[in-house]
Amino acid sequence: MEQGILNGIPLHFFLIVAAGLFCIGLYGVLGRKNAIAMLMGVELMLNAVNINLIAFWRYVRPETPAALAFVAFVFVVAAAEAAVGLALIISVYRNTKSVDPEKLDQMKF
Amino acid sequence: MTITLQTIIFALLSVVVLGSALFVVTTRNLFHAALMLILSFFGVAGLYVLLESGFFAVAQVLVYIGAISILFIFAVMLTRGMVAMPRVNAQAQLAALVSVLLFVVIVVIVNPTALSIKVLPGASERVLGGIPWQFTTVTTITDSYIKQFGASLVDGSAYLLPFLLAAVLLDIALAGAVQVARERRPAEVLAERELMAAEAAEEQQREQALDTAPETVLAADHH
Repeated sequence: MEQGILNGIPLHFFLIVAAGLFCIGLYGVLGRKNAIAMLMGVELMLNAVNINLIAFWRYVRPETPAALAFVAFVFVVAAAEAAVGLALIISVYRNTKSVDPEKLDQMKF
Repeated sequence: MTITLQTIIFALLSVVVLGSALFVVTTRNLFHAALMLILSFFGVAGLYVLLESGFFAVAQVLVYIGAISILFIFAVMLTRGMVAMPRVNAQAQLAALVSVLLFVVIVVIVNPTALSIKVLPGASERVLGGIPWQFTTVTTITDSYIKQFGASLVDGSAYLLPFLLAAVLLDIALAGAVQVARERRPAEVLAERELMAAEAAEEQQREQALDTAPETVLAADHH
């Protein structure tokens, strides 16, 4: 048995923690009333995905950099999404004095 | 399973990550939620360190804690009047149910022994989709993984195109965020309102013309 830093932790421990984080984020996206809180839920879900990717990379394919490239792109997309999403929320708040997504039904046909 | 220092660290980090994430989605005060989000990101960075991926632990601290969390705090402060709004919407209970069900399904798929489902004797390594899920020994890695990763990002046969697209995406997101959130000058807003009012008046005239036109035709027919 090799004495790595991961000694004693099986792969599925990481997967279960990531699943818990993903489901908490999912609840945040679906259940919160504030648009900023919903975006926080999205960030938690993206973090869960990153944990999964890095755990699989470390345990299964440490010799190829594919998972790392995916993680890097998730970072990029998360940063872009947070910037644009929060800018939209601030713009909406300035115009309607509300960040409640349920009140944004002006485009409803 | 033996208790090692690593498992204790892992358990502590998991409690920090999941506990602060739960606080983020349940607290009423959004500012506290943003601060607990930072704690959750720190816990995830710790998990990356545990997975011997120091580069991404540092990237996590720089990108998520240094940039995204600050954006969230700014957004919370700029929408200060909304701190006291209701915590959850009408579908929150359904959302909680769906989340818990999804978690149970994932746990059953990932680890059948968690719910004491019997694994076939002798099957110490369940192989699902080519991946042995429950192995605890891993090959040691050297620092060359980060070299390979960097080379693959600028390798035309690997990830050069996504890398460039990511750069373009960040540029566009930067410009778009500035354009959307920009505070417009009062003169600009006034000019825009005048333009919109003129357009609305024009539209109304056109509608009136359309409304009256058939009537005049009918009236002409009648006489």
